Amino acid sequence: MLEINNQYTLMKRRIDAEVLKAYFADTLEAIVDTLPIHIIPRERDPNRCCVYKERAMVRYRIMALLGVDIDRDDDEYKPLARYVGEALAAEAQPLPTLTTITPGCSGCPDEQYRITDSCRGCFARPCLANCPKDAIVFTNGRARIVEERCIKCGKCLDVCPFHAVIHVPVPCEASCPVGAVHKNDEGFVEIDHDACIDCGHCAQSCPFGAIAERSSLIHVARMLKEKVPVVAMVAPAIEGQFPGSLAQIKAGLVALGFTKVVEVAEGAHITALHEAQEVAERMEAHAGFMTTSCCPAYMELVDRHIPSLSARRSTALSPMAYTARQCHEQMPDAKLVFVGPCIAKKVEARAIPSISMVITFAELAALFVARDIDIKEIAAQEAPDSSLYADCRGFACPQGVSQSVLRRSSKPVQTMNINGVDKKTVRLMRSWEKRPPEVDLVEVMCCEGGCMAGPGVVVNPKIAMRLRQGADVARVGTIPLGGKKHV
Amino acid sequence: MEQKRISVKICVGTACFVQGGADLLLYEDFLDPELLGLCDIEGTSCLGGCKTDDPKWKAPLVEIAGVLYPNVTKQRLAELLREAVDA
Repeated sequence: MLEINNQYTLMKRRIDAEVLKAYFADTLEAIVDTLPIHIIPRERDPNRCCVYKERAMVRYRIMALLGVDIDRDDDEYKPLARYVGEALAAEAQPLPTLTTITPGCSGCPDEQYRITDSCRGCFARPCLANCPKDAIVFTNGRARIVEERCIKCGKCLDVCPFHAVIHVPVPCEASCPVGAVHKNDEGFVEIDHDACIDCGHCAQSCPFGAIAERSSLIHVARMLKEKVPVVAMVAPAIEGQFPGSLAQIKAGLVALGFTKVVEVAEGAHITALHEAQEVAERMEAHAGFMTTSCCPAYMELVDRHIPSLSARRSTALSPMAYTARQCHEQMPDAKLVFVGPCIAKKVEARAIPSISMVITFAELAALFVARDIDIKEIAAQEAPDSSLYADCRGFACPQGVSQSVLRRSSKPVQTMNINGVDKKTVRLMRSWEKRPPEVDLVEVMCCEGGCMAGPGVVVNPKIAMRLRQGADVARVGTIPLGGKKHV
Repeated sequence: MEQKRISVKICVGTACFVQGGADLLLYEDFLDPELLGLCDIEGTSCLGGCKTDDPKWKAPLVEIAGVLYPNVTKQRLAELLREAVDA
């Protein structure tokens, strides 16, 4: 997986901010078709083959931002201004969430292990001895891999004393836990939407930015501009994503035009209560382990790939669902927008009619930049009494969910946690049907590092974690991780 | 002769922070300890450079010994500090 902030994600954020700025200035339709030229001036030293290709990719990024399904609806004759008009007329969260940008795809060569010039043709030949498929042969005193026999187990790479074996992966394919991303007959990326669980790992992994998420940011911007009553439901991971306290971030959202800001940690409290009770009942009945149910990519994973776990999942609704229910009861006329680190939440939200849209922290960052809102300087919002649910802000971090459940349990509960789902973890979870884990509660988070490392975050979790512990943003660099709470 | 300490201010206004400035705050992780020993680094409120339309002035901004630099990446920060220390 790539770092959270790389040349590509930073460019994406800049494009989002430029589009929003123009939208709020009522000039979007007039300038959108020349925006790629403005963002990629001729003098730029390009990261792709030339500035013209970069401009084409900016155009695609803008289309993804407008929610266009680039796989199906890419029309090169159509001006972006017309896409803008159509996007503003749409009402619902666009699905499927992920789309591919074929012209951006590099068509990476198939995954392979290769032996480089560094091979010394040694006497011990550990590569030969350890290859389970006899795929290593020696010619001219050097090792070579016979591709037809190689099963890509990587044993030769592990044992070579000269590091002469290299592994060349296809980043998107390698990152997909369920094999939903593959190359088509032309060699370009394709997503099998029936198998996809919307975890977003492929989009996070592609160094060319050829996999994009379709955004609903423009719809949220429209709600704010038209001043309709709209509630921001902020995921627990939001703390630490911006240079200020949680109360300042909330004030920033109000400054953007949100009528009210509600923490999804409130709903997480209900989820944790429900799960504590449910796990106690299961323990009483000796029914074996139960898994959490708050990670939407995990829910899709079970639905589509591991049916044996269906009945193992807690019946608790997700924190987002409970929070939406509460907000809808209190403000039935307001639109609800979930702001989180997650792409799969966009799919989950489509099944909850009261939720209008889902945006990510990265998209919220673009809103802050476009509206020139400085979280560091803004006066904090008065904090409501959060003692009931404050600990549920930990839902964003590995073990945070299980700890919240433990705190609400009357009996001791044995837990284990799955911190990040990849191909290997999927195999492990499949095996649970025959060899169930000997615990009461399994917490599952599809992203390694929890929601704080989700595909929609802005800040490196190391920094975000320190800010969550109360560090002052000006001094945060000097505070070691896990250090004392800074007052 | 004692070397003068270099004052380094990393902008943590929202625009800089979300466009790569936050990563610069991990300076303990990526800067040479020798450089760290010679610099006083801290986050600072918006330095204002991002407010112009000049394409040159892009976030994130860093002020080193009173001079403002735009478009600072981790690598660039390390280079700039090395130059400042050697000067």
